[in-house]
Amino acid sequence: MKEPPDILLVDDNPADVGLTREVLAASTHHSNIHNVPDGEEAIAFLRRRGKYTEAARPDLVMLDLNMPRKGGQAVLAEVKTDPGLRTIPIVVFTTSHADKDITHSYELGANCYVSKPGNLGDYFSAVQSIEEFWFGFTSLPH
Amino acid sequence: MSETVTVDQVDVPEIRPIVRFSALLVEDNLADSELVLRELRRGGFEVTCDVVQTADEFRQKLQSTTPDVVLADYNLGSWRGMEALEILRSAGLDIPLILVSGAVGDVTAVECIKQGATDYVLKDSLTRLPASVRRALEEKQVRKERRQAEADLAKKAAELARSNRDLEQFAYVASHDLQEPLRMVAAYTQLLAERYSDQLDENARKYIQYTLEGALRMQTLVQDLLTFSRVGRNRTRTHLASDAAVREALKNLQAALQESGAVVHHGGLPAVGADRMQLVQLFQNLIGNAIKFRGEKAPVITVRAETSESEWVFSVSDNGIGIAAEHLEAVFVIFQRLHTRTEYPGNGVGLAICKKIVEQHGGRIWVESKAGEGASFKFTLPASFADGEMDHTQ
Repeated sequence: MKEPPDILLVDDNPADVGLTREVLAASTHHSNIHNVPDGEEAIAFLRRRGKYTEAARPDLVMLDLNMPRKGGQAVLAEVKTDPGLRTIPIVVFTTSHADKDITHSYELGANCYVSKPGNLGDYFSAVQSIEEFWFGFTSLPH
Repeated sequence: MSETVTVDQVDVPEIRPIVRFSALLVEDNLADSELVLRELRRGGFEVTCDVVQTADEFRQKLQSTTPDVVLADYNLGSWRGMEALEILRSAGLDIPLILVSGAVGDVTAVECIKQGATDYVLKDSLTRLPASVRRALEEKQVRKERRQAEADLAKKAAELARSNRDLEQFAYVASHDLQEPLRMVAAYTQLLAERYSDQLDENARKYIQYTLEGALRMQTLVQDLLTFSRVGRNRTRTHLASDAAVREALKNLQAALQESGAVVHHGGLPAVGADRMQLVQLFQNLIGNAIKFRGEKAPVITVRAETSESEWVFSVSDNGIGIAAEHLEAVFVIFQRLHTRTEYPGNGVGLAICKKIVEQHGGRIWVESKAGEGASFKFTLPASFADGEMDHTQ
């Protein structure tokens, strides 16, 4: 049987993290959810630094853009230029619908960009779709 | 004498009020300076006067004083009066220079005036000097006032542009940042309603329902505000067929068109210089409103355009419920609604967006209507459009 995937949720909003966890906990993929509250910790987690020396290498990163200290786009820039990390798919998952955020995220190498829907049902199906797409349909590097 | 230098000597000095001014004479002949001064005083002026001879003296004098007028001899031995004009110009001084000189010939006189001398007065007809000076001073005053008016206008325009930018930025940021907390309220209220409704009594369920409705409505308001503030960002103006824009708008309105059985007449609409997305949005909002505010009959909507001077006047006319005279202007104000949400849904943003789009394109929008007799929304777009390219994607 396939090992459950590891998902790194980079988001400083516990309410959003709560919603995402709700969905993922109920799904059949039994993903392990890891949450860090900002970009600096995300990089530490991915590079297994500081308190993250034992951290799993995530199969997917869900990345918010607007965060304190280091924002999502700085994380994208850093991860996508790091030969050791760039193969990890990054889904930008953010409140912003702004064209410039969308374009810039793709320019930096985001694998896809999803705006968080305002409605609960839509939010749930967005998270379900993301999980289903990346762990049900795509082939990921090992 | 040429017509440029001939001034009617009828100007009678006596009836003029005494005018005080300062002159700088550039003259190497002291006796001539005296003559000039005397003539000016006789002409009713109270003159304070400095006399310089060389170009260096002239430059130096300008460091310490700013005369109202410079009176320069044409030929000053080592230099020429016209060089004084150059010095004034390079110092950025708008001081009229009148050449006062012996006979030099019409051609030279005309040439000097072409190069920017205010006038050329011959020493043997000095009687016309006062009139010449008076005119020079008046013209200078007019120039000064015009410059001041232009500067004021430019400053106001810059202030207005900045305040508009600030306001737009504010609306954008505010609505953008409002979305996240709103989403939390809406999502968790929904979650509460779904997961805990069996643990709550009827009142609690009702309160939650109201909270949720409020949050959801606020979400659409914020979305609309964001859409409104975005109008005008990233505009690209192209020359495009407005018929194609109407067709695109109709495609976006397909569901509403089918559901209402609306018929839309359009065709032969002109090409205009406009932002494609915004023009589509404009037609879409207007036609969408015509469908939404329909009466008993199926909507019949006509989109027309006719030229009027330098602009096109478009109209979107319908056979719907119309608008009472007292509300004809209020409909374009953001968040203004004439009906309850249960009668007609919406936030009152559509026409505000239309107004913003039309105004950003340099046009005007208004509505002609009577209650119960349909409405005709009209807007203008400039007919000429020079810069930009034809949009070939049509």
